[in-house]
Amino acid sequence: MKYYNLGEINWKQTQLIYHALAQLEMEGLVLDSPDSRYVSLGLHQDPRDEIDFEYCKDNDIGIFRREIGGGTVLLDSRQVFFNLILKRNRDGVSRVAENFFRKFLRPVTRALKELGMDAEYRPICDLVINEKKISGNGGGEIGYCRVLAGGIMLDFDREMMARALKCSGPLKQMYIEHMKINLTTVREELGYIPPKEKICSLLIEKFSELLGPMTEGTIDAAVFEKMKELDQHYSSDRWMYQRGVKQLGREIKVKEGVYLFYHAFAIPGGETGITFEISEERIEKISFDEPHNFHPILRNEMEKKIIGLNYDSRKIIDIVCTMIEKNNN
Amino acid sequence: MLEINGMNFPLDRVYYTRDGAHIWLKQEDDLIKIGMDAFLVEYAGYLTFLTVNESRVKVGESIGSFESAKFVSRLYSPADGEIVAVNDEVIKNPRKINEAPYESWIFAVKADSAVLDGESEYLLDDEEKIVKWISEEIKKVEEDE
Repeated sequence: MKYYNLGEINWKQTQLIYHALAQLEMEGLVLDSPDSRYVSLGLHQDPRDEIDFEYCKDNDIGIFRREIGGGTVLLDSRQVFFNLILKRNRDGVSRVAENFFRKFLRPVTRALKELGMDAEYRPICDLVINEKKISGNGGGEIGYCRVLAGGIMLDFDREMMARALKCSGPLKQMYIEHMKINLTTVREELGYIPPKEKICSLLIEKFSELLGPMTEGTIDAAVFEKMKELDQHYSSDRWMYQRGVKQLGREIKVKEGVYLFYHAFAIPGGETGITFEISEERIEKISFDEPHNFHPILRNEMEKKIIGLNYDSRKIIDIVCTMIEKNNN
Repeated sequence: MLEINGMNFPLDRVYYTRDGAHIWLKQEDDLIKIGMDAFLVEYAGYLTFLTVNESRVKVGESIGSFESAKFVSRLYSPADGEIVAVNDEVIKNPRKINEAPYESWIFAVKADSAVLDGESEYLLDDEEKIVKWISEEIKKVEEDE
């Protein structure tokens, strides 16, 4: 198998390269970093629901909607990306997402350990150190290939991540606080950032141990041509704003099991927002945008009924709507 | 109803197996309703998104996608034809498929030609063949663990 150790490249190329290789059915490991920041959205996300366009424009933050899964992430040169492209009929390439992530994230865990960080895999697809996420990942089928796309955070601007998202000010602040608790970076773990070359060498070594010897590849004309073709497609409004299913409320994932979920509920005379903080897949806390909109007894009842429940946004909405309706009658 | 390792496979429909598709097809009047089988639902986990993007479909081609566990998989058409209906309920709430895969059809196709009485090697309705196929699929998954 080939590895492509590309260093720092144009931000959009960091996405186009693995999409192109997969479309061309070329297996490989791609390692790179973007030369400027951008937000990357999952296939099923709509930038109109996810992104603060004005903030992104003012701060030169590019936007890319990828073909694979996962949520919206802020990416920049202080991250090392690894993309693994494997033919889907290759032996050992599981169709079960958890098996796929567990197996192909093992080399990344080992590389982090060798750098002195006690990284562990957390299903479905996080790598954590002392329960703080250091690597977020996503995957999917592109053409006849299965692709793993992830990154190691060397350093991370939590505030910019929150500001780039479309959500209310208080929710952004809450998100920043949760990221402080639940995310970590190489700099925070080691006190310094090792050279990217060293990190990439280790990744190549560890992936080779799993997949067999790898040789260095270069991006040839056919791949460049495919990247050019895909650039037109992925940059088009038709692709970017292809309307998927409108999601109920606003969910922001911090790490596996930790989410913020916000929904505006109809009340007599208007609507009011409630934020649910989820930890280990359970509702841990509820905050009301305007507590005075609910009688203290109703707020208490909601807390009693909802806190501790398994997180299921639809069920939460149903419960709260029923309680509001009952209270109004 | 066939039960294999706790997963049900009703015998009133046909199963499409190409490239690990795990799609069921059920003839209803002149339409074929299409959904996901119990194996796919069991191993995919909770579905978070489901889309159907095409209106004209060709056998073996991707016509949409679904996401579970931060992994996007493609939905492949088992027939040539025209999609005449999409089940909005499961598009809006794909978890319905997890809860009841055989009641949760995803789309209905008006096929260009007879599909279910054809000779395709990728369509199974025989009990013995379904058992063999699913047993092999389970073994593959276990080997990958």
